[in-house]
Formats: sequence, structure tokens, C-alpha cells
Amino acid sequence: MKIGFYMKLAWTGIKKNHKLYLPYIMTCICMTAMYYIINNLQYSAFLDTLPGSATISAVLTWGSWVIAFFSVIFLFYTNSFLIRRRKKEFGLYNILGMGKKHLSLILVCETMIIMLFSFGAGLSLGILLSKSAELLMINIMEGEIVYRFSMEPASILASIFMTVIIYAGIFFLIFLNALRQIRTANPIALLHSENVGEKPPKSNWLLGLSGLILLITAYWISVTIADPVASLMYFFIAVLLVILGTYLLFMAGSVLFCRILQKKKGYYYKSNHFVSVSSMMYRMKRNGAGLASICILATMVLVMMSSTTSLYFSEEEILTKRYPREINMAFIMKSPDDLSDEKISVLEQDIRTAAAPYQASFENVCSYRDIAFYGIFKDDVIMMDNTTEADYNYDTASDFYDFFFIPLSDYNRLTGKNETLSKNEVLVSVYRSDFVPQELNFQGKDGIKTYQVKKEISDFDLENGDAMMSNLPTMTIIVPDFQESAAWIKTFNDSLNLRWDIYFDTGLSKEQQIALSHSLNETFRTPDAEETYGLWNARSESREANREDFFGLYGGLFYLGIMLSIVFIFAAILIIYYKQISEGYEDQSRFEIMQKVGMTKQEIRRSINFQLLTVFFLPLVFAGLHLIFAFPIIQKLLLLFNFDNVLLFAMTTAGCFFLFALFYSLVYKITSNAYYHIVSDAKE
Amino acid sequence: MSMLEVTNLRKVYTTRFAGNQVEALKNVSFSVEEGEYIAIMGESGSGKTTLLNILAALDKPTDGSVILNDRELTHIRESEVSAFRRDNLGFVFQEFNLLDTFTLEDNIYLPLVLAGKSHQEMSERIAPIADQLGIRKLLRKYPYEVSGGQKQRAAVARALITEPKLILADEPTGALDSKASSELLQLFSEVNRKGQTILMVTHSVNAASHANRILFIKDGEVFHQIYRGNSTNEQLYQKISETLTILATGGDRR
Repeated sequence: MKIGFYMKLAWTGIKKNHKLYLPYIMTCICMTAMYYIINNLQYSAFLDTLPGSATISAVLTWGSWVIAFFSVIFLFYTNSFLIRRRKKEFGLYNILGMGKKHLSLILVCETMIIMLFSFGAGLSLGILLSKSAELLMINIMEGEIVYRFSMEPASILASIFMTVIIYAGIFFLIFLNALRQIRTANPIALLHSENVGEKPPKSNWLLGLSGLILLITAYWISVTIADPVASLMYFFIAVLLVILGTYLLFMAGSVLFCRILQKKKGYYYKSNHFVSVSSMMYRMKRNGAGLASICILATMVLVMMSSTTSLYFSEEEILTKRYPREINMAFIMKSPDDLSDEKISVLEQDIRTAAAPYQASFENVCSYRDIAFYGIFKDDVIMMDNTTEADYNYDTASDFYDFFFIPLSDYNRLTGKNETLSKNEVLVSVYRSDFVPQELNFQGKDGIKTYQVKKEISDFDLENGDAMMSNLPTMTIIVPDFQESAAWIKTFNDSLNLRWDIYFDTGLSKEQQIALSHSLNETFRTPDAEETYGLWNARSESREANREDFFGLYGGLFYLGIMLSIVFIFAAILIIYYKQISEGYEDQSRFEIMQKVGMTKQEIRRSINFQLLTVFFLPLVFAGLHLIFAFPIIQKLLLLFNFDNVLLFAMTTAGCFFLFALFYSLVYKITSNAYYHIVSDAKE
Repeated sequence: MSMLEVTNLRKVYTTRFAGNQVEALKNVSFSVEEGEYIAIMGESGSGKTTLLNILAALDKPTDGSVILNDRELTHIRESEVSAFRRDNLGFVFQEFNLLDTFTLEDNIYLPLVLAGKSHQEMSERIAPIADQLGIRKLLRKYPYEVSGGQKQRAAVARALITEPKLILADEPTGALDSKASSELLQLFSEVNRKGQTILMVTHSVNAASHANRILFIKDGEVFHQIYRGNSTNEQLYQKISETLTILATGGDRR
């Protein structure tokens, strides 16, 4: 027999089962296209022109592997439904005299057809969309590139090559799996494979309980974690625990739950519970994994969307925090004497002189002196002689503080107040911690210096970008004897920073700001200037010059968040769709029987609704629960990205959840309609 | 007044493609008295199944009336049909139609649960029936764990538990081996002796020979009927065979 004959058989098979094959082929097409797009973006030459291109490229490479990995899982999962449906047909062919060899040939043809479609449509779609994907990326990054429509043949070929290699491999694996199932079964088994009686699930206390324990542990980690840096490590542990716990809970726990309901005879033997509870239990065993997958995918989408969106939309805020004014200058002095009032006013005057050619307006000037150092609370004493970075470890992280000493005069000038402090009295402002000590004991080389805390202040924001970028708790201390304190600490602490900061707005254009900052650097980063002002180091940073780098990182994350969310949502929809369709076919006969036995159409519909609702919204409820408990740890993680706007994050998270739930309900509506359609078809 | 009164029943189907009219039932009239055990025989395509579906209120006749227990079946509203069926009819099907998600016990309970009975009442009712049908020890098992004959007995239990006016059986022995078949037929006779009215559609002569009256349907009409009278099962078997031969060779109506 010719190959054309098998092609025809395969094609008829696909056409006849189009309700199942169409979404499957669509998945294949979309997965291929998605992979191509992400893959092509990283090859794309124009990425180099974007800010932060190295970071984005790395993130994209990682993303394309994630998509490939998920493709394997989804396509296998969806294909298993197809095989189950087609076994009957293959059984018939087998009985009509086709050998296993011929069946394999049909399978080969079928795989070829699907592959042809996926590659043809997927790659064309990918090539078309990758251009718009690039545009989207530029838009998100706010890169100012005049976009030229160009096709880079080399990068397109490279991406096509990668895509074809990877997906041909995936299709081959799927083919082998189908082959294995066809080969090991005999014709009668194939013919009846759909109606094989299945053992009712055993309830497994141990698995269900361990799932619950895993989940609670993960929640506990998330809720109790205090330190942002440690949270990164614990986050991945918690994610693993949640995934494992969710699977166990859905697969074992749900059966257990239904069993318990069944034991309660008064509840179970009611017309609206009877059918649903038993068929739910029956279903959970097989579909517990599917539901858990949906739940985890939903959680991933929600976490990703809410965090990347929060970051993206607070870019400006974070940027402003990091660079409080248009021009931000910091001078690190060699000795405390260089921080005297006279020397500083000379320095400030010289800055104004240097900026004069640009006619900068010097608005919102904020300047203050500070000394900055690390310290560890050991009992009630703050140690700093050996507190270098090397000592920094996770165990002591929560006792580790950034200290800033600010002169009282600068404080009064900036706040317009008239605070007075007697000797050894200080004002304290604490950031990223709740701990406000009564007195501060600094361990020096020759004894302890003690300050009494007069009161806590909240009206002084340390407008210091470096402090913002740190993840340590910060203690700002307003001292009356600034220079003496600095001199005293200087005698035993080399890592002490004696600095003067000045920030100001200029009223200049973007380009002018960058140029001014550049020129200030040139003026003050010279040996001459260092000599004149006693500088270790000076720098001027303009907010505008750093904007693009910022947007490169946050925009890149946001972009990847969107892309991966699309993939995950797509996967979740497919799982839902196939669940509904396959269950619909299974339930056809069941509902027919129930109707014959005397169940009304309304009762059937009510029972279906109850089941669908439970099965559908269980993952959503759990995803919401996961999200709530993930909130504290993610919020800590975002601190690493200098994001501390809890309200914005909470709102974004709630918004994402709401949007997702809306979308999910829509999918529910569509798929349950398909389900009703299949179930009611049988009654005609 | 008879318990079931079927008068001038006619059912016309329109074929899907050509729109041809096919008369599945032409003019069927008969009645069933309480406590009767009736077999309806006929070739494939004679209209047996159509008749049964109409009696079960699963299908509506084109003309004619079906009166069960003083109620006109064709006039029952769509929303009441299921409840009516549940309360008055018990079904036994060829392919058992047990739900594989339920144990046999739960399968038997199904109509009672739908009727909103309490669990206590259900367990009181099931005990004597399970004893009579010999499935007491199997109640906890699932359908796929028991034999065909046992499944069919569970299905009979499900039909009996609502204490229906009429049991409708559609080829109940069709999927059973001869031993299980004769056990089931004995069971039917026994149930009938206790007063249960049974209407069975079959083309097995053996099955029909257990009934008290046999109606023969040919080409959508009641062609002939045989009463058992004082015949034994074997004698009745003989009579039925003869009638079928005449039917098959195209004899005129006697």
C-alpha cells in the first residue's frame, strides 16, 4: 500500500476528530511561534542598541528554554487525550486487518501532518509577530530608537533552525509515546480502551497529609522571613514546597475529602450531592494532577504579572528615589576637617561657578554632610572595627545596620526646625526596621561612646541614593558634635565614609542635564580638585543618564513577564479545555443513563454546574491562597529591586488576580459550553 | 379500567436526508392489567423499541394515547416527565446501564436519592430486595468488579426499589449467557408472582416463554397475541416458535 493511503487515513482521522485536533494543532502552532519569537529576540542585532542589553539577552535565553520545557509538558499532556480518543479507531483498523506496522505508519503520517502545520503556520506567525514583539519591547524599554523595518536573514535562519530542531525533537518524543501505547495493546483492548472500568481511587491519608504539611511549611517560610537577602534563597525553597504540596493535596487530598463527604450519609444521599460527589472523587484521581497544574500555572502567572507590573510602573518612583534630583553629587573627603562649614561653602560656590555656563537654576537644592559606616548590634553595643563585608552573613543580617551621622545644623537647615541637642544627645530615624533603641553605644578602640536618643524623628528622609539602594536596615542619627564624632570614628574605622552630598534640579533640558553632569565630573574628578578640596572621590550623576539602564532592567523583566504569562495562560486554557472535552465524552453515556433512570434535565444541569464550578474554581481559590501567602516574601524580594511601595504592590496583585479571575471565568464559560454541547449531543 | 391502556398509537419518523416519512408504529392498541407479565416480540425494525420508548415517556407518539394509571402520558409536561418516570416506572436495560462511579448499592439507591428519600428509608428498602436477588454480599462492589448476571440483578434491584407500577425491560437477557439468562427470567417470574407488573421487549423465544402473554409486532402493528393459559413454559415456547415461523413466512393474521 502506498504512503498516500496512510496520509489519507491520518488526514481523515484528524478531520473527524477536529474538535480535539484543532486546539492541539493550535497549541503546537502557538508554542512554535512563541519559541521562535523569544529565540529571535535574543539573536536580534537591534537588541544591542537597547539599554541593558546583556541582561535582557540573558533573561531571554533563559525564557526560551522555559518555553521549550513547558512545550514538552503541555504537548504531552494534550496529546494523551488525543491518543485515548483515537485508540478506538486504531483498534478498528487493527481488526480490519492492519498490522501494528501499518498503524505506526498512520501515526507517522499524522505526526508529519501536525508538524507540517505547526512549522508552516508557527514559523510564519513567529516571523510576522517577532517584529511586533520587538516593537513592544522597544516600547516597554522606552528606548529611543527610530525603528526601521528590517529582516536580518541570518538571525531569522538561526532562530528557524533552533525552533525546528527543538520542536522536531518534541514531536518525535510524542510520536514514540503514542507508538508505545498502540504497540503494547491488543485490538480488543484498543477497541474498548475508552470504556475500561476504572478502580475507584483509594484515599491516601499519608500523601494528603504530607501535602498539607508541605504547603503550611512553605506558607510559614514566606510569612516569617524577615531579611530580603535571605528571602531570595528561601523563595525558591518555598516555591518547590508549594508545587509539591499542591500536587499532593490535589491528587490525594481531594479524594480524601470526597471520601469523607461520602461517609456522611445524610449529606451524600441528597440528589444534588450524590452524583457530583461520587463523580468528582472518581475524576480527581486522574485530574488532580491537571487541576494542580492549572493552579500552579495560575499562581506563576499571578506572581509574575503582579511583581513585574509593580516594578515596571514604579520605575519612575524608584528612579526618583535613587536619584532624588536631576543632578546628584557626592563628595567623599579625606579628613573630617574637610567637612568644615567654610570648606563646604567654598565647594558649593565652586559648583555653582562650574555650572554657570549651562545657566542651571539650582532649584530644590538639598545638601548635607554625613558620615556613613556599617555596624553590628552585639548585645547593646555597636561593633564596627571588624565589620567589613566579609563578616556579612545571613545569620547576623538582621543585626546589621547602615549608620549615617548627620550634623544637627544641617538637619535644622533642611527641615527649617530649631532642634537643640545637648552633648551626647541624638535624634534617630530608622528605615527598614522597627527597632528604635533608647541609647546607642558605639564600641571604639579606647572605650564605648554612648549617645542618649532624645527622640525618634520621621521628617528627615535621607535623600541619599546609596542608602536607598542598600538592603540593610538604616539608622540615621542626628548628632550635635558632628566633626568630633567623625574624627573619633575615623581613628579606628577605615571604612568610614566622610561625605558631602548635594542634589539639585536644574530646569534644563534632558540633554543639557546630562551634559552638565558630565562637565561637573570633569571639573571635580581631577587631581587638582582632589588637592583643593581634600577629596578621595567625587561624582556627579544625572537622573536622565541612568533612566535608560533602569528601564532596561525593569522593562526587560516586564516584557518577559508578559511573554511567559501568555505562555502559561495558554497552557492553563488548554489543560482546562482538554479536561472538559474528554470528560464530556466520558460523561455522555453517564448522563444518558441518569436520564433514563429518572433524573430531570434540570437536575442533570445543576449537578454538572456544581461539579464544573468546584473543579474549575478550586485551582483559582488555591492560586489566590498561594498568592496571599506569597505576598510577604515577594514583597521582601522586591526590596532587592529597590521597590518598597507595599500599597502599589498590593493593589497590582489584587488587580492582577481580579483580571485573571475574569479571564478565567470567560474560559470557564466557553469550555463548559463545549462540554454541555458534547453531553447533550448524546441525548438526541 | 386497565393499568396501562395503549390506543391507536402511531409514530412517524422523518428521515434525515431525503425527508421520507417512515411509519415506525402504525396502529398499536393493547392494554395491560395489573399483575400481568407481558412479552413483546418482533423482528429488528418492527417497532418494538419505538413502542418501549413511548411507554417510557422518552419519546412522544405522533398520534394515539397512552394512559398509565389514569394519566395520559402524552399530556404530561416536560418538567414532570422525569419525576413521573421515576415514581411509576422501573427500567431494566440490555446493557445494564449501571454507573461505574457508584457501588452497586449506590446505583440501586440512585432513583430513591433523586426522589429525596432519607438514607434510613433507603437502607430499609434495599435489604429485602438484595436478599431476594441474591446480591447482598455484592453491594459494596463496583460494577466492573462483578459479572454480567450480577450487574443485571443490581439493575433489577434498582428498578424494584421504587416499587413502580410497571417494570419496562428492554432485552434484559440480551447481554447475558444462558445460565445468567435463565436465573434472571426466574427472578422475573418470581417478582411477577408477588404482584409486580412487567412489560418486557425481547426477541428471545426463551425469554418470552416465561411471560403470561406475548404480543407480536410486525411492521408497526400488533400482529398477534398468545395467552399462556395453562401451558407450561415449554409448551409456550413451542407456540411462540410456531407463531414466529408463520410471521416470518408471511402468514395472514389469524
